[in-house]
This record gives sequence, structure tokens and C-alpha cells, in this order.
Amino acid sequence: MINSKSFFYKNKEKILAFLMVLPSLFVIFFTYLYPAIFTFIISFAEFDLIRLSIKKFVGFKNFNYLFSSYFFQGSVIRTIYFGLLICFSTAIISFLISLLLNENFYGKTFLRVVVVLPWAVPSVVSGVLWGQMFHADIGFLNALLFKIGLIQEYKIWLAEPLTALHVIAISEIWKATPFMTLFFLAGLQSLPTDTFEAASVDGANLFQRTYHILIPLMLPIAIPLMLVQFVLAMKAFDTIFVLTRGGPGGGTTTLNYFIYQEAFETFNLGRASAAAYVLLIITFAVVVVPILTRFIFNRYWGNNYEK
Amino acid sequence: MKNKSFSYNLIIYFFAILVFLTMFFPLYGLILTSIQPENVIRSKNITFFPSSIVLYHFKEVLNPNHISQIYEGMRNSFIVSILTGILSILLAFPAAYSLSRLKFPGKNLILISMISVYFLPTILFIIPMFIFLVSYNLDDTILSLVVPYTAFILPFVVWILKTFIDRLPLEVEEAAKIDGCSTIQLLLKIVLPLIRPGLLSAFIFAFILSWVEFLTPLIFTNNLKMSTVALGLFRSTVDIKIGQQAAAAILTLIPVTILMVVFQRYITQVIFSGADK
Repeated sequence: MINSKSFFYKNKEKILAFLMVLPSLFVIFFTYLYPAIFTFIISFAEFDLIRLSIKKFVGFKNFNYLFSSYFFQGSVIRTIYFGLLICFSTAIISFLISLLLNENFYGKTFLRVVVVLPWAVPSVVSGVLWGQMFHADIGFLNALLFKIGLIQEYKIWLAEPLTALHVIAISEIWKATPFMTLFFLAGLQSLPTDTFEAASVDGANLFQRTYHILIPLMLPIAIPLMLVQFVLAMKAFDTIFVLTRGGPGGGTTTLNYFIYQEAFETFNLGRASAAAYVLLIITFAVVVVPILTRFIFNRYWGNNYEK
Repeated sequence: MKNKSFSYNLIIYFFAILVFLTMFFPLYGLILTSIQPENVIRSKNITFFPSSIVLYHFKEVLNPNHISQIYEGMRNSFIVSILTGILSILLAFPAAYSLSRLKFPGKNLILISMISVYFLPTILFIIPMFIFLVSYNLDDTILSLVVPYTAFILPFVVWILKTFIDRLPLEVEEAAKIDGCSTIQLLLKIVLPLIRPGLLSAFIFAFILSWVEFLTPLIFTNNLKMSTVALGLFRSTVDIKIGQQAAAAILTLIPVTILMVVFQRYITQVIFSGADK
């Protein structure tokens, strides 16, 4: 028989430690795990929104419907394109800006503050702001292009699906750039300068130094940031909602927006849940798998994970 | 720097101006739109400087009877964001200490899963929460916003506090333990005062993230009186008054910007504590 008193005494610290995490775990359980299970269950069912209960289980019907729907397939492809476009564009732009901010020039500190500013802009505001920039009647872009003679009449930017998608992407990239720039800048400042000097002495030109030294050194910083950016781009909702509402003709409906429409506009919760799981699987493949791989790798083969 | 060539300087300043324009001009345009009369905004001329400054867009949009409910929205958002900040810190502080200092089985698993869930699509959790809230008549309440916000932000707050606790010197706590301090006392009397900057950063982040949240209030609230500022801004886009829309956008933006500028040091500290991971 276990002497309970001594058991508690021996493990006092462990129990206390666990008790301290418990409230947070409880909240996380009720907001992440329980809903995730619930969504999983109703993705195989038809949900009755009036009686707020499951009407009947339909097996893989929701998933079958989704995978045979061209609109859904389109929105998956669109989401992946949108995510890749944003993560690559943001990475390239941020990298170039961080290279610039790493040089010395007058007004550098001021420019750094300006570059960080869009980060403080809520994405709803970013949507409104770019909506006004691309506005058909009062937009700055139309006025400018008309003045310099590039367009003969004012263009309705958000009326064409592909253009509208890219307007949304611009708004997301503009907002995402500051964060990545700060990380890249921190990375650049921690680089060993003697490597570059040595390469320079050995006769490597600017292009060779960038291609063979700078980029390989920056990749460990860039890859996780790009993964995060990809996931955040897939979660983009506010800008789409404010700018186009998924239109025109569903041309800006990303997977996340598709789920919203299925769930809260057509109230087909079963189908929405199934689509949410497709999005979850994509996200999982992009983020959790690399994190876990790294964790397991460090745990069993690495030696510098635990201090 | 002095011996750099003329062409080098030319390139640098060209790009500096380009970056300045692309990053700053959209914001400047928004400010300009919010303080100019509607007829100037709608004219086809490109103006870079305000010809006349008017503040009536702000006045109208803040009118309690205005369709976009920005005034109510700001009030609600303040309440919700402050409550979220407090609640998430109360929950996160003991958890962060435990995860940082104490040893127990499953600790790493908890840490990893906490970081992972933060990246999962929010909409996945919103569907069942919506069903739950509706079936208990809890939608359209402050609570229906504070609790989900807290939950969504919690992993992040735990992580911020944990990095701050990690950086404290162990000696202080060990000395206190030798002097007979219990873990609870240690937490409240030693650690809590030492990580005040961490608490402030965590609070600011929680406040900002709650302030800008859009999807949750969109789904969980219907009543105009429960509108948050982000929702109010969206409602102003239904209207065709561009000036008022810009004013609403500025009002949504201002509290976040002020916090960011005032507490810039804390915010960069949080970001760069992640950079060395």
C-alpha cells in the first residue's frame, strides 16, 4: 500500500508545479481541445442549428462533397497560392529593407520607426486603408495612374477576381513586412563581420559574398519566419472581409473565408467543420511537423536543447 | 561611411526614400482623408497637403447615434481588452513560473503544444464555441468576448512571461528558499516584483491583440451596443462617406499606436527574446 502522506510529501514540488499550470491548461482544454473534438465530430454529421444538436451522422459525405466541389478545390489552391505569395514576397521585401537599414545613412533611425509603423495597424484598418488607396472613384492609385497617363479611365480594382486577390495580398504584405524586417535586422547585426572581410580579402565580389555567405547564414532565421507567415496568411480574414467579402464571384475566397461562409452565412456547420479540418491538416503539415521534428531530433540526437 | 562613393550614396538614399514612401504613404493618405472635407476627397486632383483641416468626420463618427457605433465600440473594446489583459496574466503567471522553474513530467509536451495551438486556425474553435454560447444564451455579452480572447492569447502570454522568468538569476530564489520561503511566497514576494517589465509587456500584447480582434466579435455579437471598435470600423465601410470611414480607421488605430510608441522598448524586447530561440 502506498503511504499517501509520504507520496504527496515526496512529490510536493511536482504536484504544486502541475497545480500552477492547471488553470491555464483548463482554459486551453476548453477553448482548443474540446472545440477541436467537437468540430471533428460534427464534420461527420449534419448539424441542426435550430435545435442546436446533431441531426444525423453522414459519414464522409461532407468531405466527399468538399473534394468534389470545384469551388472548394479552387479555394484550396487559392489559399496555398495566397500563402506562398505573401510569405515569399514579405521575406524578399523584408530582407531587402533590413539590408538597407543595416547600412549607415542619415535618417536611418527615423526610417526604422516608419518601417515598424504598419505593424501597429490592425488588419481591419489595413483593409480599409488599402481599400481607399485602390478605391475606384477616390483612390490615390487611380488618380496617379490617370495623371501620368498609364490608364485612360478609372479602373475598378476590386471588381476583377485576380486583381482583387492581389490587392488583399498587398495589404497583408504591407502589414507583415515590419515584423520580419526586425527579425532579419537582428540577424544581420549578429552576423560575424570577419567572415565577410575574409571573403572580401580572398577576392569574392558582392554577389558572391551575398550568395555564398549572407544567404546561407540568414536561412535559419528566414525559414521559420516564412513558415509562420504562411500560416498567418492562410488565417487572413479581416482584410478579405473588409475589402471583398470573398468576391467577386468567389475569386478571393480563401479556405478560411470559405469556412466562415459555410458556417455563418449558409449555416452548414457540418460542411464548415469538415473544411476547417482540411485547413487544420494543411496548417499542421506546415508548422507542427517541423517543430516536432526539430524537438524530437534535438531530444534524441542533439545535445544543446536542454541547458 | 565617408569614403563611400557617390553612386553608393545615391542608391542608398533612393531606396530609403522608396521604402519610406511605400511604408508611410498609405497611413499618411488615411490621415489626410480623415481631416479633409468630403468634396476635396472626391475631387480628381491629387493633393499631398491638406488645403483645409476639418474635424467634423471625427465628431460625426463619435456621435452615439452614428450607424458605426465607434463611441460604444471604443468603450467596449477598452473594457474587453483590459479585462482580457488582467485575466490572461492571472492565469499565465503561475503557469509560466511553473514551466520555467519547476520540474514535472510532461512539461515539454505542454510547452510545445501551447506554442503549436497558437498557430492553429481560429475558426476551427469558433464554430463549437458559437454553438455553446448560443445554447446557453451567452452570446452578446462581455464575457463571450473576454473568455475566448483570453484563451486565444493565453499561450502567447505564458510564453512572454516564461522568457522573462527564465532570465532572472536563480540565486535570488535559492537564497529565499534557504531562508524558509514557500513556493507561493517566493512567487508573490520575489518573482512578481522582479518581472514587472514582463507583466507590462504581456499586458500590452494582450491589450493590443484583443483590441484588433475582428472575427470573434463578428460572430459572437449581434447587438450594436456590444459592438467593438474593429466591428464599428467595418460598419462604417458600409456607408459611403469616405471621410468618416477614414476617421473611424484612425480612431481604431490610435490606442494601439500610442501603446506601441510609448512601450516600444518592451515590445522589441519581447520580439528579440524570441529571436535567439
